[in-house]
Amino acid sequence: MHTLKTNRPLRRIVLASAATVSGMVLLLSLKPHTTPAVAGSAASPAPSSGSSTSSGATGSGGSATGTRTLTGDSVQTRYGPVQVRITLKSGRLTDVTAVTYPQENPRDQQINAYAVPQLTREALTAQSADIDTVSGATYTSEGYRQSLQSALDSANG
Amino acid sequence: MTTAYAQRRVAPAPPAPRRSPAVPVLAVLWGGAAAVIALWWHDTGSVVGTAGWLTGAGRIAGLLCGYACAVLVGLMARVPLLERRIGSDRVTRWHAMAGRYTVCLLVAHIVLILLGYAAQDGSSIVDETITVLLDYPEMLKATAGTVILFAVGIVSARAVRRRVGHEFWYYLHLLTYAAVFLSFGHQLALGSDFTGDVPARIAWYALYLGMATLVGWFRILAPVRLNLRHRLRVDSVHREAPGVYSVVIRGRRLHEMGARPGQFLRWRFLTEGMRWTSTPYSLSAPPRPDLLRITVKALGDHSAAVALLRPGTRVWAEGPYGSLTADRQTSHKSLLIAGGVGITPLRALFETLPGDVTLLYRARTVEDLALGGELEAVARWRGAKVLYALNGSHGRRPDLTTRSLRAAVPDLDAHDVYLCGPHGFARDLYEALRTAGVPDNRIHHESFEL
Repeated sequence: MHTLKTNRPLRRIVLASAATVSGMVLLLSLKPHTTPAVAGSAASPAPSSGSSTSSGATGSGGSATGTRTLTGDSVQTRYGPVQVRITLKSGRLTDVTAVTYPQENPRDQQINAYAVPQLTREALTAQSADIDTVSGATYTSEGYRQSLQSALDSANG
Repeated sequence: MTTAYAQRRVAPAPPAPRRSPAVPVLAVLWGGAAAVIALWWHDTGSVVGTAGWLTGAGRIAGLLCGYACAVLVGLMARVPLLERRIGSDRVTRWHAMAGRYTVCLLVAHIVLILLGYAAQDGSSIVDETITVLLDYPEMLKATAGTVILFAVGIVSARAVRRRVGHEFWYYLHLLTYAAVFLSFGHQLALGSDFTGDVPARIAWYALYLGMATLVGWFRILAPVRLNLRHRLRVDSVHREAPGVYSVVIRGRRLHEMGARPGQFLRWRFLTEGMRWTSTPYSLSAPPRPDLLRITVKALGDHSAAVALLRPGTRVWAEGPYGSLTADRQTSHKSLLIAGGVGITPLRALFETLPGDVTLLYRARTVEDLALGGELEAVARWRGAKVLYALNGSHGRRPDLTTRSLRAAVPDLDAHDVYLCGPHGFARDLYEALRTAGVPDNRIHHESFEL
């Protein structure tokens, strides 16, 4: 366009705004909108997963009636791995500790600072991995659930 | 100055017109924006719920804003390719347009991210804002940067810009560098596209360091080198017409500066009251190995003070800039149209443009014709034509319409037209020339109006 051509600033502003907004909406709408199955989760609950030394559910100490500590699978999520360790006393779930969870950036730290304790409370109440997703922490919840399930499975198995 | 005409027996063929690199440069800039979007696309899994949509849009806006900040700085780095081949005026207009867009993106980024985080955490927008500001690293710095950018944006808005002094506007604008620096930290510390992605971090560093290098080189080192080498001082000041003065500046080895007729430099006269202002003035004569000349009309305080410059005053210059040169020529015939003091770059081109040259000079009265004697002399030397468009009796304005232009220059549409003058004047003539069938790519104009 020639620099001396009469330009219409208003039209340009409207066009730029419309193009930007519709571009963003288009980009966002092309992404999936359901909570996806956690990446790699399909395979990881199986105890035979490749890196079993570190991620296989492992237990230690105690008999079925005593105190046992078991570590669940490390479940890979979009924001990083999630892995929990459980303590069972006489078959009862008395403690869940998240050994690993995403805390690479401050946003993850902030979310998981409230999500992890809430997941732990839910797990102790439910005495199972049948727990609700914490809103805002979809991926961590899903990873937590799977890691917990694998730990419980290895306790019973 | 007669030496320039020694070889003017045969009309020198105009050089093959050099294509402006505007299109490739714009393609690179848009390509960068596309790459930034691609980075977001690559790093984003799914967009779930209101929070997902809001933070997603906020992230895109933030990434684009970070990219645009680098582009804004780069456009104003006085890179010769941009200043001399695309044209300072055009690049400045790009910068202004991109600047407005960047401020809008910044607002969108802040609002969308905060709303998205609040929705995700189920907290109020106020609490979320406080958390983000105080608990997230680098956010206080980023907030300071944002405040500066908004201040610069407000002061640059046309309505405000007219009311504030040039110096205030200029020095506030320089703070943009601080703003960009302050907000850089939070992009890498918090941007989820950068925290885990080493190649993306490297690319982002390269982008910003690249722009910093351009600024350091072309805005600082190049001017220092130029002024150390050429040692410019005011040689003399001459009155050309009422309120119009020429300043002759003496320096060493000025031919090595590479200034060409039609270009300008940014001048800073190191004397009381003028030290802090750098003003663009076109060269009003072809540069000589020891002398440069500018011609200035007293429009503001600065240009009025030019008349009082003492010989020997030191001068700090930056440049040469501008693309209104012989490079734009596409044919053997050129028509130069000057309005008032717009004669300055055209005076230099009138002497040096190859081919047949006609000059049309619009001024109010005969007394207002600055450099008139010189123009007549040049016209005689090279057999060129000078036409004047002066006010008639009772101040009647001459009519510069398609018809009168065609009458004065019969094969008007075969000419390259170089146009320089006040904005309204240039606008009217542009319309008249277009109606006369002169295509856009033959109407050459440079203006500092945004």
